[in-house]
Amino acid sequence: MYRIKIDRSRCIGCLTCVTACVVSHETESTDARNRVVIDSETRPAPIFCRHCERPECVYTCMTGAMKKNPETGYVEYDKEQCASCYMCIMSCPYGILKYDSIRNVEIMKCNMCVHRTEDGSANPMCVEKCPMQAITLEEVRE
Amino acid sequence: MMKYVVLGSSAAGVNGVRELRKLDPASEIVLISQDKEIYSRCILHQYLGGERTLERLCFAEKDFEQVYGITWMKGRSCAGVRPEEKAVVLENGDIVSYDKLLIATGSHTFVPPVKNLKEAKNVVGFRNIEDMEVLKDAAKNAKNIIVMGAGLVGLDCASGFLELGVKVTLVEMAGWLLSKQLDKRAAESYQDAFAGRGVKQYYGVGIAEVVLDEDAQITEAVLTDGTRLPCDFVVVTAGVRSNVEFLEGTGIELSRFGLVYDETGKTSDENIYGAGDVSGTSPIWPVAVKEGIVAASNMAGVPRKMTDFFASKSTMNFLGIPSMSLGDVNLEGEDIEVEVRKTKDSYKKILHKNGKIVGAVLQGDLAYGGILQQLIARKIDVRKVKKPIFDIDYSDFFHMKENFEYYFEEE
Repeated sequence: MYRIKIDRSRCIGCLTCVTACVVSHETESTDARNRVVIDSETRPAPIFCRHCERPECVYTCMTGAMKKNPETGYVEYDKEQCASCYMCIMSCPYGILKYDSIRNVEIMKCNMCVHRTEDGSANPMCVEKCPMQAITLEEVRE
Repeated sequence: MMKYVVLGSSAAGVNGVRELRKLDPASEIVLISQDKEIYSRCILHQYLGGERTLERLCFAEKDFEQVYGITWMKGRSCAGVRPEEKAVVLENGDIVSYDKLLIATGSHTFVPPVKNLKEAKNVVGFRNIEDMEVLKDAAKNAKNIIVMGAGLVGLDCASGFLELGVKVTLVEMAGWLLSKQLDKRAAESYQDAFAGRGVKQYYGVGIAEVVLDEDAQITEAVLTDGTRLPCDFVVVTAGVRSNVEFLEGTGIELSRFGLVYDETGKTSDENIYGAGDVSGTSPIWPVAVKEGIVAASNMAGVPRKMTDFFASKSTMNFLGIPSMSLGDVNLEGEDIEVEVRKTKDSYKKILHKNGKIVGAVLQGDLAYGGILQQLIARKIDVRKVKKPIFDIDYSDFFHMKENFEYYFEEE
């Protein structure tokens, strides 16, 4: 599967990736599905969904809205099936998830920008726009 | 060829089947369940309220049997187990043999020992799809529905009825609703919201007795403080008990809570495993899912242990108010420090002791709150983080594996 590799040493905290995420998804609330935060030593840390091998958000989802695609390895979210119970927000060990800030209904979940390609492969706009190549798309073994 | 039998088709059973099929593609798998459909009990209130169809209660693949190549005996129940013969006995005497058995039979509504309640006819739990059909019917005629217990399930019930325009009455022994999950302040947001929608609420009192007419129909409820409430239907949401009756006398070890199994899911019989609510210890969804996966993995010969034992956690979204609860949010003591952050729309409280967070309640703003569960469950000393406790995020714990997954360093 593919995962977004993060090179913290290259990240300058410019938030271009966050803007790219908002643009790519055209979410009504303009919330992003990624974020960059600053640690106690003021170093930026890009926090992006890992599409975990053992995804806590999937284990905790009581509607089946959050699913791991066995073919692509991506953790997919179905907002129509979601009951907005927020258990996934609590379960993500890395604090990546939140709900949209207008309706509090939709979980802001990375989809690897598969909606940008014809064949459903990953094409994350955050990676495309990063001016520092701090985030890159890499093939990994699970 | 191995033959696996799985009892129960909810969170633990379904995920057990999935894991068995993944690890042992050639095996025979038989799923036996009382449920005739796979449905999520956590969203039944949306079915009651008409917001969700039965089809959309399903949390698994629509064609589950075909996808996983199993035999599903639905609408069947288990009357006994014969470990020495490696067989289960069904309600009609049918025998189903197994090489490995997974018991994920869940739990049932606990009916508290209230005078006349067991004899009453117009009383139901809030657990099964059959309960919802009874309640949909009751909603048409009943004028005074009392919900016994204002915990997560009781409030689900009250919310579902509100969608139908029915205002129930909540009776709760504790001093406020969701007393296990919330502090008084956070609970009041919900109490006010429910009151605003016409839901009457009684706290700090229980139901001492229900009064029956000659047809065993409840007509009145008497509270422990003597208050008499008109009542023509009672919904019991005061806890659950594990479904282990069929295991009595089998020699399989039971505790006073339910089925006993170790961190690999194995019971006292080496061919029998357990997962989910049937243990009677942590009746929450994510625990059931993980135990189902862990037990199935060990059944298929791939060793795996349950590692997540932090179960005092929940989120809720009643009447559009989001909350998250972790650990103990009502701890008191000289060495417990309590920090509160309030804004116009949100309330957050974090309790910590010697640098370690022991409890948290978030309301109105849950964004990125997942980190808190890890800080509590892993007992991480957060004093090294030079930020307000409410602003701690993963940046100070950032670690990446070779496959670019994140992880927490063991302290």
